[in-house]
Amino acid sequence: MAYNSRFHLIHLFILTVLVAGFSACSDNERKLPIYGERDTVIKTVDGKEVTDTIYNTIPPFSFINQEGDTVSEKLVEGKIYITDFFFTTCPTICPVMKRQMIKVFNDIKGKPDVMILSHSIDPEHDTPQVLKKYAQDLGVEGPQWQFLTGEKEKIYEIGQKSYLSTAKEDKSAEGGYIHSGAFILVDKEKHVRGMYDGTTEEGTQKLIADIKTLQEEYNTK
Amino acid sequence: MIKPAAAFIALCVLASCQNAEELKSGQYFAEGYQLYTANCSNCHQPDGKGMSNLYPPLAGSKKLADRSGVACIIRNGMKGTILVNGKEFNRPMPANAKLTEIEIAEIVSYVSMKWGKDSLYTPITYVQNALQNCKPD
Repeated sequence: MAYNSRFHLIHLFILTVLVAGFSACSDNERKLPIYGERDTVIKTVDGKEVTDTIYNTIPPFSFINQEGDTVSEKLVEGKIYITDFFFTTCPTICPVMKRQMIKVFNDIKGKPDVMILSHSIDPEHDTPQVLKKYAQDLGVEGPQWQFLTGEKEKIYEIGQKSYLSTAKEDKSAEGGYIHSGAFILVDKEKHVRGMYDGTTEEGTQKLIADIKTLQEEYNTK
Repeated sequence: MIKPAAAFIALCVLASCQNAEELKSGQYFAEGYQLYTANCSNCHQPDGKGMSNLYPPLAGSKKLADRSGVACIIRNGMKGTILVNGKEFNRPMPANAKLTEIEIAEIVSYVSMKWGKDSLYTPITYVQNALQNCKPD
């Protein structure tokens, strides 16, 4: 008995050291990648040639939220945000995505520097009133989770070009649209820092963890 | 002493207790579970509890008692307001034209055995009859 418990204690000790060691390592190295195409430009600063990298950046936008207010990129200024594409009458993956996004929402609730922007890809049907009702039925209140509608072309354009996501009309698809089930993580500099499968628990948990990692980046700056 | 008793129980389960009806119910339940997962659980959820105020629960719903009605809703979808467990829901449910009669029978069997009061499967003939007599929306 005595031998056994001592043996266990030693094991526990080794395990603790290992875990501590690993987490110390990853704390130092943890940094999320920047997604999308990048350009390099050569600038001359103080007579020296300097190479600058220009990353894929979310451009200014103008959409209407579930309250009927026009919102722009100013809404997410100085904030980390998560975005996705859906439509309220979608019978396939949207309900799953929204169920998963609620978990993300519950995790970020009350944090002033994190938001969610869900874009409708069926803006003709999904008017602000329809989105408001949808948000209410989902149990979502307050401005932290924005449901956006607007010009269809603009929504598709920002989805495909900037958020690197698929969103388009396809009459042959069930519900009439095809779109990816991705959750996209955007940092305060408007760079895409993560893409997650919003239809799976694994993807959702990875996103929740990465939001914290990204917040840490700003805290340690 | 214990061994013969156990053998007797096993024999009983295999031979006499599990009659053809129960065997078939097991098959319908298993098939129905697969079909439910693929076609229904996105909205109604794997546990049948629905989702917030968006999609109604099946678990505890009185609608399950009307299996003909359930078959018609699966085939044709539904519109308008529905009252389930004291809560109103009014999002449209899409039709499922691709599901065959046997598949609908298996789903009806699964949901009514899992969350309704049924202990046996719903035969395909029952579903065929129900689908011929669906009330227009």
